[in-house]
Parts: sequence; C-alpha cells; structure tokens
Amino acid sequence: MRVRKSLTAVAVALVAALAAAGCGGSGSGDSGKKTVTMWIYPVIFDEAKHRAFWDETVKAFQAQHPDIQVKTEIFPWANRDQALATAIAGNKGPDVVYLIPDQLPKYARNIEPVDAYLDDAAKSDYLDNVVKSVTIDGKMMGAPILTSAVTMMCNKKVFEAVGQTTYPATWNDLLTMAPAFKAKGYDVTAYPGDVKNTLNQTFYPLLWQAGGDVFSPDGKSVAFNSDAGRKALTFVKQLVDGGYVDKTLLTTLPPTEQTRIAQNKVACLWHSAPQEVEQFWGKENIKVLPPLTETKQIGYGTVGSLAMLKGAKDKKAAGEWIAYASGADVTKKYDTASSFFSPKKSAGTLFAGDPVLGEQEKYVGVTTVGPLHEKARDVQGVLAPEIQAALLGKKSVDQALSDAAKAADALLG
Amino acid sequence: MTLLLVGPAPARSSEKGVDVVTLSARRRLRRPSLREAGTALLFVLPCLLLFVAFRFGPAVAGVLLGFTDYTIGGDASWVGLDNFRRLIDDPTFWSALKVTVIFALLSVPLSMVASLGMALLTRRVFRGVKLFRSIFFLPVVTSLILAGVVFTWVFAEHGPWSRLMGAFGLPAQSWLADSTLVLPAIVLVSVWSRFGYGMLILLARLQEIPAELEEAALSDGASAWQRFRYVTLPQLRPALFFLAIIETTMSFQVFDIVYVMTGGGPVRASYTLVYQLYEQGFRYFDLGYASAVGLALFVMTVIVALIQRLTLGREE
Repeated sequence: MRVRKSLTAVAVALVAALAAAGCGGSGSGDSGKKTVTMWIYPVIFDEAKHRAFWDETVKAFQAQHPDIQVKTEIFPWANRDQALATAIAGNKGPDVVYLIPDQLPKYARNIEPVDAYLDDAAKSDYLDNVVKSVTIDGKMMGAPILTSAVTMMCNKKVFEAVGQTTYPATWNDLLTMAPAFKAKGYDVTAYPGDVKNTLNQTFYPLLWQAGGDVFSPDGKSVAFNSDAGRKALTFVKQLVDGGYVDKTLLTTLPPTEQTRIAQNKVACLWHSAPQEVEQFWGKENIKVLPPLTETKQIGYGTVGSLAMLKGAKDKKAAGEWIAYASGADVTKKYDTASSFFSPKKSAGTLFAGDPVLGEQEKYVGVTTVGPLHEKARDVQGVLAPEIQAALLGKKSVDQALSDAAKAADALLG
Repeated sequence: MTLLLVGPAPARSSEKGVDVVTLSARRRLRRPSLREAGTALLFVLPCLLLFVAFRFGPAVAGVLLGFTDYTIGGDASWVGLDNFRRLIDDPTFWSALKVTVIFALLSVPLSMVASLGMALLTRRVFRGVKLFRSIFFLPVVTSLILAGVVFTWVFAEHGPWSRLMGAFGLPAQSWLADSTLVLPAIVLVSVWSRFGYGMLILLARLQEIPAELEEAALSDGASAWQRFRYVTLPQLRPALFFLAIIETTMSFQVFDIVYVMTGGGPVRASYTLVYQLYEQGFRYFDLGYASAVGLALFVMTVIVALIQRLTLGREE
C-alpha cells in the first residue's frame, strides 16, 4: 500500500511538473523592464565580431533607454524561414527580425509596418529604390539597414592566360569571346542551374536585362513566358550547348571550393559576390564590372531590413529599438563591418578606396531586389525545374517556359 | 508473451506457436477492481497523452487542414474540396506520384530480396555470425542525413561509384546529375539503409522454423532449391507479408535522402510526394495544400496495403 501511495505521489508530482513546465513561458525579463527580442542572421561572417557588434549597439541603446532590454539572437541562414514561420505560428516569434524583400510578402500579414516608428528625416534619408523594395501596399514593412549589388565580375588571371584584353559588357560580348576561352580550357562563365539556387541571382537578372519581368504589372499572372524570357533562356542554352559553361552546375550544387570557379577555370560570373571567390582568385585578380546589358543594364541586389512582428510584446519599445538600430550611425558601422552598402543617402560611399567593394558600390542604383509578390518563391519552384529541363535538352525553350507559366498561373489562381 | 485477459479466455493452441494460458494462470485472472484500474490508467496516462498530443491529434488536424487554406501565421478558412481539385490539376503532383510509385516498384522488391538473401546467409551459426549480423544491421541505425551526405560524394562525377562504372566500361558520370540514373541511385542508398531491418525480421522467423521440416525434406531427397522453395519460403510468408507492407510504406515516405542528395532534381526526376508535401508546407507555408498531398499519400498507402493483403497475405 505504501509503495502504491508513493507511486501515485510520484506520478502526480510528475504530471504537475510537466504541466508547470508546459505553462511556463520564457519569462518577460526583469520586472518593470520592457524586453525586445531580435532575430538576426550571420550578416557579419565572423560570429564573434557579429556578436560583439550587437552587444555594443545594445549597450549604447540601453544607455538612452534604460527601461528597454534588448536580446539579440543570431541564427544560421539555413532553414531560417522554417524556424521563423513555425515560431510565429506557435506565438513564440521574436519582436524584431531581419528580413529581405524576398521574404516580406510571405510574412506581410504578420508584420507591423514601421512607418509610424521612424521619423520623417530617417525615412527621407533612404534611397528611393531601397524604400520601394520594402514597401507593400504603400507601407514600409521593414527599416532597411543594408543593401547589396551583385554585379558582373571577372577573373583577371584567366583573361591574361587567354590573352583577352577587353571585358564583356553585353550578352553578345560573352558569346563572342566564349570560344577563345573554351579553346584554352576555360569556361567563359558559369550557370548554377540546380533548383536550390535562387532565380533572383541566376535567371531573373537576364530576364530583366532582356526587358522582361517575372509577374505582370497587376501581379495576377506571370510574364516570363515572353519574348524577353525566351531570349534570356536561349542565351543560357547557347552557353550550355556551346560547351562554354560547366554542365555539372546545371544539376548539382557543390561547395564553391569543388567547382571550376575555385580552380580559376571560369572567366566571369554574374551571380556571385566577390567575397565568395576572393580566397580562390585573390582580391587583386577580381575585376568588378557593371551588370550586363542587353535591352537594359540591371542586376540583382538585396536590401536587409529590420521588421517588427505583429506579435511584438511591446510595439513601442520594439519601434524605439528599430529606429535606433536602423539609424545612420549604427548602419554605417554595420555595413562597413559586413561589407554591405548603405541604404542611406547621407552615408555616401563607404568603400571609396576599395578596388572591389568600391566598384560594386557604384552600381547599387542599377540593381533590383526582384519581385515583391506573395507567390514569388512558389513561382521559382515551378520555373527552376523547367529551366533545367530546357538546358538539359529535355524540353524546348518555348515548351519549358510555356509549361512553367501554366503551372505558375495555376498557383496565382 | 504474457496475456492479460479481462474476459473469457479464447481457445489457445500451442501448435500455432501462441503461448498457452494454463488453467492455473486463468484461475488467477480476475476482473480488476476500480482502484486497480485507476492505478493502471495512471501509469498509461502519460503515454496516452503523448500519443494523443503528438500522433492522433496531429493526424486529425492534418485531415482537417486538408480542407482549409491555412498558411503558417495566417487564418484558416474552410475551402471544401478545393485543395483536392487543385491536386488533380497539378502536374507536379502527378509527376511526384509517378516518381514515388517507380521508386517503390524498384526499391521494395530489391530491399526484400537483399533482406532475404542476407537472412539466409546469416541464418546458420558459424564463427563471427553475430558480428556479420551487426554489420549488416548498422545502416539501419545510421543517420540518413549523414548517409545522404556521404553517398552524395560517392555518386559525384569523380566519386568512387563513377570510377567503378568507368572500370566496367560504362560512362563515368554523376548518377545524381542524370535524370534517368538519379532514381536508381536513390534506390540503392535506400535499400542499403533498410535491408538490415528486413534481414532481422526474416532471421527471427527463419529461426522459428522447426529443423524437422527441412530434415524431412532432406531425407526425401529434396535439393537445396526445393527445400527453400517448398519448405522455407511458405514458412516465411507471414514475415514476408509484414515486410512488404512496411517496405512499401517506407518507400512511399522517402524524403531524407532525397532532401540531402538531390533536392528532388534534376528536372524533378527524384521529386517524391513527401518532398512535395515538405515544399508546400515548409517552403511555401501552404499547409492546407500540403495536408491534401499528405491525405492523398495516406489513401494511396492504404489502398496498396489492402491490395497486398488480398494477394500476399490472403492465407494468413
């Protein structure tokens, strides 16, 4: 009997403990203090430096706002959407999170616009294309803190080895010089066709350069199944069929160090940042060029912003933090440390003396963040395999784009 | 096996290999008191709660979500059969279904043959047999993610598999990058990871087969093949039926190795139904549609299991 009573007591205690654990939350911090939690990602590659930057920034903020406690959590880039979406669904999301335009439409219904938390001077200090890239239905969904520009870049060593003295400015330039590179065992460029790559950096820049777009102006249908789309895909297919690019990259996504890019066998890239190839090419061998031109000159660039979630515990406190962290002084330090560019007019150029970043910075104005559409990623999901099919010769260019458009339009309803 | 009987004990037969509940044991069994039932329930309760919270509940929620337009972080509205109509019109779904069925058709027989072969090889007692059994079982307890990473390298263009094929005069290429060869590559990895489990099931059954049966066949002059065909195989039938169901279900649920090794490519040649479910649910956050895909997969699994029951398991 005694044993049974003890067992019952243990079971009751266990259930009570489980219930208590289940009911207990993460707590709201010290009593009387407002807490703001921010999720950010490895924008500064060196985690220790990144952590130190935010610790210092939070300390400076708290000197001005002693009643607000800020917790910054640095998450890995991988699977960040899954983590964020499930946290939001479980009402465990952060108050503030770093988002890029590609993500904003998906989370729009969970985001508190920041217009009311930024003063007019701060808002008017943003570059026009930057404001446009975070605005949905006339409201700013995040406070931009950085921008980037993915331009054309070439490997000087490869050009010297081939004896090529001019650099490509147009698609035709690339196609014209491709045989010379091939003859010497080099690829004129690379096309990452694996479906895990974002089309924002691979196919869409070509589509935009050809004068096309992903969605129709009203967003109710896709627009890539057009003359511009066919022109762009035909251009890539010419590169593939001519043997001017490494076919392995059409279907696989190996680490850069295992590719011909790292082996200094590729002449130019339009989809990578200089930081990705610097250790293989050497900074002195990187020649930064403007985005390619066909009908128009345009490249991809992103805008990183701090967005407030609707579930924020204290919106005023979160707004104070966003206004501070997206201020000109903080972003200037952050962008310099992370090798990104400033979204602010007042910041001017951050890398004037840098032969690589300084050159790239010049082209921030000719970049776009890609389509701000709720189904942008879903559409990429149906278009990328069709592009792959065309490049592998499984479908014609027309058929691939037509099939992709049919599937994409079905997604848009 | 211990039998806890709360009602009249059914007739038991030792010939069928089921434990016999002896008369004295039956006398000891009685209807438990309310207090005892309460205590028993208390012990069962944590497990029951976990089952309801993490198995039954989500399954019911999954069925219901299939009839809504729920997206993560959004509201859910009842949309009736819209998701299923979309499924019928979705070429990606049909392509994923085709890939899944082909995968199952290739992997289930291959895995069962490998399991049976290994079980027969390790059935006899010889020096080191336990070590061999453990080695063959090792892939079952190896992380599929880890295995996927390693096999991605194995099947790479300049990897060992490509070199092996080259030695046989076949084109040295990455199987994972070829839309025709990618599925056989995934099948091989899947069979490698699963055959140890089947081997264990069949081995357990093989060891239950009375030695007298084989000895009698041997004394009647039956060859090794005849003994296998007319003595061993019929005795293995229940275990093979069980294994066929399990293997088929696991094949329909293939995801980990596809996620790690191919991402469904190239050209959707390894894009399975569960991969589509994952993409819809956790990449595009369209949980309503993802649940509809899940329901379709469930229905398909049940239908195939019933067909297997009617054919393979008819006599059991």
